[in-house]
Amino acid sequence: MKASTVRRVGSRLASLFASLLIALSLAFLLGRLSGDPTATILGPLAPPEQREALRHELGLDLPLVVQYFDYLRGILTGDLGQSLQFYQSNTSMIADRLPYTLQLVAAGMGLAVCVGVPLGVLAATREGTWWDRAASTVALLGQSVPVFWFGMMLVVLFAVKLGWLPAGQSGTPKHLILPALTMSVYPMAHIARLTRASMSEALAEPYIDSARARGLGNRRVVWRHAFANAMMPILTIVVLQTGILLSGAVAVEYVYSWPGLGQLALQAIQFRDFPLVQAIVVFGALVFVLLNLVVDVLHSIVDPRVR
Amino acid sequence: MSVLLKADGLAVTARLAGGDLRLLDDVDLEIRRGQIVGVVGESGSGKTTLARCVVGLLDRNVRVEHGSVTLAGDVVVAPGVDRTDRVRGSAVGMVFQDASRSLNPLMRVRTQLAEVLRRHVRDITRAEVRRRSLEVLEQMRIADPSRVLDSYPHQLSGGLRQRVAIALAVVTRPALVIADECTTALDVTTQTKVVGLFRTLVDELGIGLLFVTHDLMLASDLCDRITVMSGGRVVEAGDAASVLDRPQQDYTRRLLAAIPSWT
Repeated sequence: MKASTVRRVGSRLASLFASLLIALSLAFLLGRLSGDPTATILGPLAPPEQREALRHELGLDLPLVVQYFDYLRGILTGDLGQSLQFYQSNTSMIADRLPYTLQLVAAGMGLAVCVGVPLGVLAATREGTWWDRAASTVALLGQSVPVFWFGMMLVVLFAVKLGWLPAGQSGTPKHLILPALTMSVYPMAHIARLTRASMSEALAEPYIDSARARGLGNRRVVWRHAFANAMMPILTIVVLQTGILLSGAVAVEYVYSWPGLGQLALQAIQFRDFPLVQAIVVFGALVFVLLNLVVDVLHSIVDPRVR
Repeated sequence: MSVLLKADGLAVTARLAGGDLRLLDDVDLEIRRGQIVGVVGESGSGKTTLARCVVGLLDRNVRVEHGSVTLAGDVVVAPGVDRTDRVRGSAVGMVFQDASRSLNPLMRVRTQLAEVLRRHVRDITRAEVRRRSLEVLEQMRIADPSRVLDSYPHQLSGGLRQRVAIALAVVTRPALVIADECTTALDVTTQTKVVGLFRTLVDELGIGLLFVTHDLMLASDLCDRITVMSGGRVVEAGDAASVLDRPQQDYTRRLLAAIPSWT
């Protein structure tokens, strides 16, 4: 590996580590600013001695700096604290809910990519035509429709009226269809719009004319030359959207009573279970940093100029 | 020498929001095998439109109104006719202005050469692809063809990139090569080398070369014949020496007068 590459990788890792530290610190501070959790757990009428005992048990009576370093040590050892609501380890609760969210995200993002990318390519290769206008309208609609409303409409139509699919819960592939469809709408629209813009830009590049002048077929020019060059922003948005959804698709999981991380986050917020909220935020930050790293690796695989 | 390319009364129009715009008007041009024809003129004179029309790379809103383009006697472009896909890359190769942007930045030189060969040479083997790729790079006077073959465009100098772009245009051994302002982005030394390379290619391979440029001096160094264009029309055409030494039209005289002198 070249020295310049090592330097670039090193500086990127350092900046990702700094971002992670900032995110973790903010999660810690916001947790401490959200009020006294002992009031939520014990109720407003609890005697002060009882509250003090609980504060001691939770370590809230320690100086803030000590709490902060305990918190960081916990993250390093995989201990994200204990839930005030469920009296369980946050790490194990996240691990229990994660497979459900992963299923949903994989299905939703898979659908979003499979529809969004061809739709964007279609619009870009037929710029200014009826196809382009139709694809752009569909994409705009997908970005404008509120997710919870769209989810409820799907439930009304496919579960209540037609009775084809279950309205909620999980367990079988049939249970996955409506939540995945609901979840896919926004990222699909985003991917379609970005693909169109990125492809239009690539198709206007001289290497496209050059490839056509060499007699290459349209499919090869569009996919191998234009799409390959347009791919980086699309890959970035796919990976980052995946991150957003992985750290909790609250609306979709709420509408379909899907037992994933979004549902867990909602329960934690409603109960002011700050250790659990904090644990989910920390998990989200870790996922984001990891996915940013994935984007960097993909970028270097796709584009030899950044290796 | 037989006629290779003939544009006959070619008229091309662009449909714009404000109405039609005539880009080429009654353009005649002829290129024979082993001949270099320069098309010169200032920006907007229609020279690039003419070059792109021959390979069918006109924009969607541009159409041929009348006239035709024939290649070795076959009509390839005429009103409502576009058979350029039969000749593009095989019988006609094209070199563009800026090689740093006309080569795909994500593909190695060998991949770009291989895809052209595979497209146009039926049943070509992998070994034959490599042999012909190395051969064409040697033909371009590239000192280390194996290294260049394994390089990405950004790893090459401007001059090398332009040689690779020329290699891509001639690797299928076309009868005609169109060079559209392909020396504009190069420094003077590299320009001279590229021009010399074109002359050698024409002499060795017997191809025809349509050399589009705004640089009259360069055209005078390289071309056998020169066609001067302005406002989409041919204003003067003839042997390079006679056009440059005894220009018949005011426009050509003005172009010649605009060339900076040494003193």
